[in-house]
Amino acid sequence: MESKFTEAYPKAPDEVKQADCEKVSGMLDLIIDGEASSEEKLYFNHHIEECVSCFENHQKQKLLKGLVAGHLKRVIVPKSLVQSIKAKIQETL
Amino acid sequence: MSDQTGKQLSKEEKDARFEAELLPVLDPLYNFAYRLTLDEDDANDLVQETYLKAYRFFDYFEQGTNAKAWLFRILKNSFINEFRKKSKQPAKVDYSEVEGYYNTDDVEGESGVASTTDMRTESVQDLIGDEVASALNTLPVDFRTVIILCDLEGFTYEEMAKILDIPIGTVRSRLHRARNSLKEKLEKYAKSMGYNS
Repeated sequence: MESKFTEAYPKAPDEVKQADCEKVSGMLDLIIDGEASSEEKLYFNHHIEECVSCFENHQKQKLLKGLVAGHLKRVIVPKSLVQSIKAKIQETL
Repeated sequence: MSDQTGKQLSKEEKDARFEAELLPVLDPLYNFAYRLTLDEDDANDLVQETYLKAYRFFDYFEQGTNAKAWLFRILKNSFINEFRKKSKQPAKVDYSEVEGYYNTDDVEGESGVASTTDMRTESVQDLIGDEVASALNTLPVDFRTVIILCDLEGFTYEEMAKILDIPIGTVRSRLHRARNSLKEKLEKYAKSMGYNS
């Protein structure tokens, strides 16, 4: 009986899940950067509904991106720069 | 429709188009230059050089195409080809060199930053910004570059591949490694502040 069971499921459920998690973690960047295809998104969203650790990794990765996008201060362009660019262009003509 | 095949623009037309299409990119371009060089004067020089080159090759620039990506590409090439050599900073930049780099424990003593942190929002926001900046600045320039291009400037992987002259697969793997490094740095900081991630 047991042998039949393992034939039908050549991999233990844990291994399957492990493989899913690896696949999903490889997609993380694509997802948060908006580069994933619609199938990838579907697969990803389905997985994180069921898997807490992948869900958390996704949250962390989003947070990281948000830290750079939202908190890194922009430097102010010196007022003189436009003028210097224009002047430099004219003088090298 | 304007005639794009008759290349020869008058100087006035050229200048007007140059100003209209390329100068609006000045702000992101300067910020990119600053994040690469970490020095305002160097950033200034690099941006000027970039615009000068762009002007010289402006006839090759197709109107309506991605001016921002084009300028970023010129700037990045200038940085690599000429700038890095004369820059004061030693260029310890190839990311292949730094595989084992992060395992060495940093020597910065964790000097009691934690206790007196004011949690009022504004100062915390500043603090976070500073911390992100300094973590980012310690990354090798190739890592810093992909993070800036992607997260700060919002370029797509395809645009990044063009700017950096590398395949998209390399963009992806570099971005992945870069984020891991940044995460590690910031987690270290978070822990020193008493957060457990």
